[in-house]
Amino acid sequence: MVNLNEIPPPDDPAEALAAVIALRRLADRLERAAVAQAIRDGWTWQQVAEALGVTRQAAHKHHAQRTTDHPRKETP
Amino acid sequence: MRLPNPVREIRTINRLLTGAEAEANKAGEIMPGAEHLLLSALALPDGSARRAFERLGADPDELRSAIASQYADALRAIGIEPVSDDALNAAAGAGVTSGKGVFRSTASAQTVFRAAVDLAKTERPSRLVGAHVVAAVARMEHGTAARALRVMRIDRHALAAAAAQELDAGRT
Repeated sequence: MVNLNEIPPPDDPAEALAAVIALRRLADRLERAAVAQAIRDGWTWQQVAEALGVTRQAAHKHHAQRTTDHPRKETP
Repeated sequence: MRLPNPVREIRTINRLLTGAEAEANKAGEIMPGAEHLLLSALALPDGSARRAFERLGADPDELRSAIASQYADALRAIGIEPVSDDALNAAAGAGVTSGKGVFRSTASAQTVFRAAVDLAKTERPSRLVGAHVVAAVARMEHGTAARALRVMRIDRHALAAAAAQELDAGRT
């Protein structure tokens, strides 16, 4: 559990910005892992897009080349 | 007198950029950053980047783990216990690739590459070597590469001086 009191104060911007970079990197990996699992579980790109709050095209463009698994057939 | 060798220069640049991309992809990232250029420079056959580190008593092979450490430290600083990259990359399935075509990199990599090439151009004849990349990275005060050097207890000014010494030694 993240303790919000431990978040670096704005008077230490170097540490705070380093945390931002590390969080983005972690979020990117978590997203890739979760999308790959969703596709393996049979989710459609529409469902993935809905969960991520992006368009189906954006989800597909961002993740399709990165996963070797194929989603179940989607109805147009 | 040594004559400029454009073919060798292109080969070095190609090696440097391809290597940086491979390092980034290996780490699960699409575009290389300054830290990946530095890792790639350490693998260049001229050996000057490695020798610059060794002049300070630092082990260049520790850079990769230092990069990972600084990410972990940054997460711990805000109370998040880091998850291993290997575990997340494995869960993501397919590896990351940069795709074919134009070389794309982060702003930090572009800055370092430009600075390294500019430094190389000051030499007569111009010849890009790994120590130019080290010198360019040593100019950076912030960012992943700078933090990784601090994890290795490397002072960036001392590293810049070591890179300059390497370049001097290469001229003689």
